[in-house]
Amino acid sequence: MTTVAADLLPPNAGVLNAGLLGGDERRQRLAMFGLSVPALVLVALVLLVPFSWLAWLSFFDASGALSGENYARLLRPAYVNSFLSTLQVSAAVTAICILLGYPVAYLLSQLPQRVAQVLLVFIILPFWTSVLVRTYAWLVLLQREGVINTWLKQLGLISESLPLVNNLTGTIIGMVHVMLPFLILPLYSSMRAIDPVYLRAAANCGASPAQSFRQVFLPLSAPGLGAGAALTFVLCLGFYLTPALLGGGRVAMWSTQIADAVSKFANWGAASALSVALLVVTGIILWAMKWAVRRLGSSLGEG
Amino acid sequence: MTSGAVSIRNVSKAFGAFKALDDVSLDIEPGEFLTLLGPSGSGKTTLLNVIAGFERPDAGSLLVDGVEFITRPPHKRDLGMVFQNYALFPHMDVFNNVAYPLKLRRVSSSSIRERVRQALDVVQMAHLSARRVTELSGGQKQRVALARAIVFEPKLLLMDEPLSALDKNLREHMQIELKRLHDRLGMTTVYVTHDQQEALTMSDRVAVLRSGKIVQLDTPKTIYDRPNCRFVASFMGETRMLPVRKAGNGYEFAGRQLKLAQPPSAGAEQWLVVRPERLGWHGHDERDNRIEGLVVDVVYRGDSHSIALKLPGDHEISIRHTPVQDHPLPEPGQTLTLWLTPQASVLVEETGA
Amino acid sequence: MSLKRLAIANLLGAATALLMASSAMAAGETLTISGFGGNLQKDLRATLWQPAADAAGVTLSEETQDGLASVRVQVQSGSPTWDIVHLGADECAVGGKEGLFEPLDYKVIKTDGFDKKAYGDHWIATNTYSVVLAWRTDVYKDKHPTSWKDFWDVKAFPGRRALSTYPQEMMEIALLGAGVSKDKLYPLDTKLSLEKLKEIKPDISVWWSSGAQSAQLLKDKEVDMMAIWGSRVASVIKDGAPVEFTYDNGILGYGCLAILKGSTHVAAAQKFIAGVVSPEIQARIPEMMPYYGPTNSLAFKVGKFSPEVLAKSNMSPENVAKQTFIDANWWRDNNELVREDYSLLISN
Repeated sequence: MTTVAADLLPPNAGVLNAGLLGGDERRQRLAMFGLSVPALVLVALVLLVPFSWLAWLSFFDASGALSGENYARLLRPAYVNSFLSTLQVSAAVTAICILLGYPVAYLLSQLPQRVAQVLLVFIILPFWTSVLVRTYAWLVLLQREGVINTWLKQLGLISESLPLVNNLTGTIIGMVHVMLPFLILPLYSSMRAIDPVYLRAAANCGASPAQSFRQVFLPLSAPGLGAGAALTFVLCLGFYLTPALLGGGRVAMWSTQIADAVSKFANWGAASALSVALLVVTGIILWAMKWAVRRLGSSLGEG
Repeated sequence: MTSGAVSIRNVSKAFGAFKALDDVSLDIEPGEFLTLLGPSGSGKTTLLNVIAGFERPDAGSLLVDGVEFITRPPHKRDLGMVFQNYALFPHMDVFNNVAYPLKLRRVSSSSIRERVRQALDVVQMAHLSARRVTELSGGQKQRVALARAIVFEPKLLLMDEPLSALDKNLREHMQIELKRLHDRLGMTTVYVTHDQQEALTMSDRVAVLRSGKIVQLDTPKTIYDRPNCRFVASFMGETRMLPVRKAGNGYEFAGRQLKLAQPPSAGAEQWLVVRPERLGWHGHDERDNRIEGLVVDVVYRGDSHSIALKLPGDHEISIRHTPVQDHPLPEPGQTLTLWLTPQASVLVEETGA
Repeated sequence: MSLKRLAIANLLGAATALLMASSAMAAGETLTISGFGGNLQKDLRATLWQPAADAAGVTLSEETQDGLASVRVQVQSGSPTWDIVHLGADECAVGGKEGLFEPLDYKVIKTDGFDKKAYGDHWIATNTYSVVLAWRTDVYKDKHPTSWKDFWDVKAFPGRRALSTYPQEMMEIALLGAGVSKDKLYPLDTKLSLEKLKEIKPDISVWWSSGAQSAQLLKDKEVDMMAIWGSRVASVIKDGAPVEFTYDNGILGYGCLAILKGSTHVAAAQKFIAGVVSPEIQARIPEMMPYYGPTNSLAFKVGKFSPEVLAKSNMSPENVAKQTFIDANWWRDNNELVREDYSLLISN
């Protein structure tokens, strides 16, 4: 039987059914690719096409002529200043979020799961109200005749109202409040994933609680911290509402410039250039943060 | 190394209504390899964690070389420990994992290099010292974890089911290696396992735990040959417990008076411990105890046949028939007569003496 | 007196004839008009647009726009779905310059009674608003600020101040504060203006960016005096806050209408706009939209208003004399650079 079958094969076929099986594999690969087509199309439609269009627009001036004017404009003092203050505000908000959020996430990660889940609801709760409402709530709390200043004055701690809002202070308070969950949630889940046995192992090796926190827990939570910090920072870079409402006009965020370019001047080219610059800088910062987190993780590990 | 004596006195620990440790006392000799053996929930891991300092008992005392350890924080106990899933720090490479206890002890860096190399040599991992731990196989992780536990030459080494995550062949290989390592380094070792084979292979003494109590503490041979209760007996090997009936001064099984080498305790309820390898193919009615069973299955296994035998009282047991046996291979449905010598005929009670 | 009456009667007759003629011609057409939305659009429709549409015999359909950008998108599409757009004056001027609009037919649309700054080749202002000086009466009990000069006088009038984050009107206010006379404002001396703004900056506690925010600042006593839209300060006063304002030195800005290039209803749209700016329809503003004003001053000759209404209206002959019109064309040409300098100034 087998010899007969072998004789029937063309001499160059070599292996039984090789061509058939090869074709089958190709078909299967094609089918797999076919399955990912909707995702690819979606990415192309919602990401690549708009961004390419944006980048394309940024090379045309208001009259529609090809020019570098939109990018040259970014070097003018008003834009440089706005860019720097955007970075400063974002960095400050991220730093404060880390200082406030890390202990919270740590506490949550050390609590029994059920208790932590209840407490997490309180952290997620603000997501259920609009940012606008929360921002106005801060206005009510922080303004000159607001709740906090009124209390402080009644307690006799201050005689003049503190300038808590309509400046950088108010902006940062409001932004920290909005951003904190974005830092805590990824950080918490990464801390949850740290097996407590590592801390036992560290203690067994002779590490005091402080040492095992710094040398084991902190580096192991670094990826979550990095993800949370990057998310917070990037969201801050594009944040519009809270700085506009609580900044008293003083906090010139990049997003405000983009909004103005579109709504006040209908200058798509200028807005596109602003957006492209923000995107590029965001990309660079994310890359740098990733690198820094990796460095932090390994340097703490070796230290 | 002569130090490393551990003395556990009246340690109790409850989790709510559940008694994890119930007034446990145990003395461990310097240099001894002692295994805590028991099913899950027996309290063996809790006891180990009490020694390591990860669990605070409700009552009791823990002396290490005569020093009270019971309230000492874990990082001040100077004990090496190998964890069940190794617990190697994923953000450190092999070298830094092993060096970590030395760094915490402020050992000079040249000395650290030397001692880490030695420790890795002991576990045959020196060639992989720059690897990330995530790139290691289970057995390699196991060795690194061991190196980290011994690198600072602790008086006492604790191991919490360290081989349970390995496959069978590697596990048996590592058992021998651990045993040799212990003979070489001589540090007092407390080893937790639920695997009786592991306990019998490696230990100087085995403490069998059940419901937070030590039911038997003895050498592996005594534990195996002379279990002091039904629980210990059934925990060792493939064992069947056949109920026996008190008859006059002695006991009878399936209507026959049992011939015993050692007088049984006075308890009314006794079981005959039947282990397949103790059953002989030949015997004499006057000298030995006869055990009859119905052959259910005969399965070819290469070096032998495995015969499934149904004993009186619906107990099934599996015995081996090797080609060198001069007894013919039985067939299913046949009644097979096997023999237990009086020395191999052990009666146990429900609870230990 | 009788001559004047006669003139008005003639005018009315002419206007009526015109409206009737146009209604006959344009019957059945639907015009789509796009505005800022919200209460303002609701008021504009009731006060100006609906009567003008009725008179022109067209049906009106409403949309909302969010700035010149959306208008540009409409025009660039080649077949805009909007016919008429209601914008801010400087946006109209920019759009006209960019060629987004059809030219207005001033044979159909009559500009008698209009300030020269209030219409251009492609657009015409239809309603005015005022930016005024307002203050808390509980802070300034004995003497209150009466002019932008007082706003700059932090010794005589200590207190927290607010200006807008948008330079339009604020640049004018700064020059008035510097003592420039209101008929010599344009072209704006931007250098002097920015210097004056820099001078007052330490005492500006808030730079507001929306109308709602500006009203809240005054209502909550977050600031003691500020530049604010007349319509907004009116609502604050109506809410019972101890606040007053003056039209003295006020800046008049306006909303305007323009016809989108490519509209298929240009003729009907011209007639509709003619109706909106006619004195008769403009005369509806003082009563229906107090604190906004008609752009056609003849409205005050056509309509009869009580002294209270006249006192409130920013365009009553008495009040309009105290104020000055914004120059949309100047802003069209200088907006972007001024805004950059201005935003740099307030954020540093």
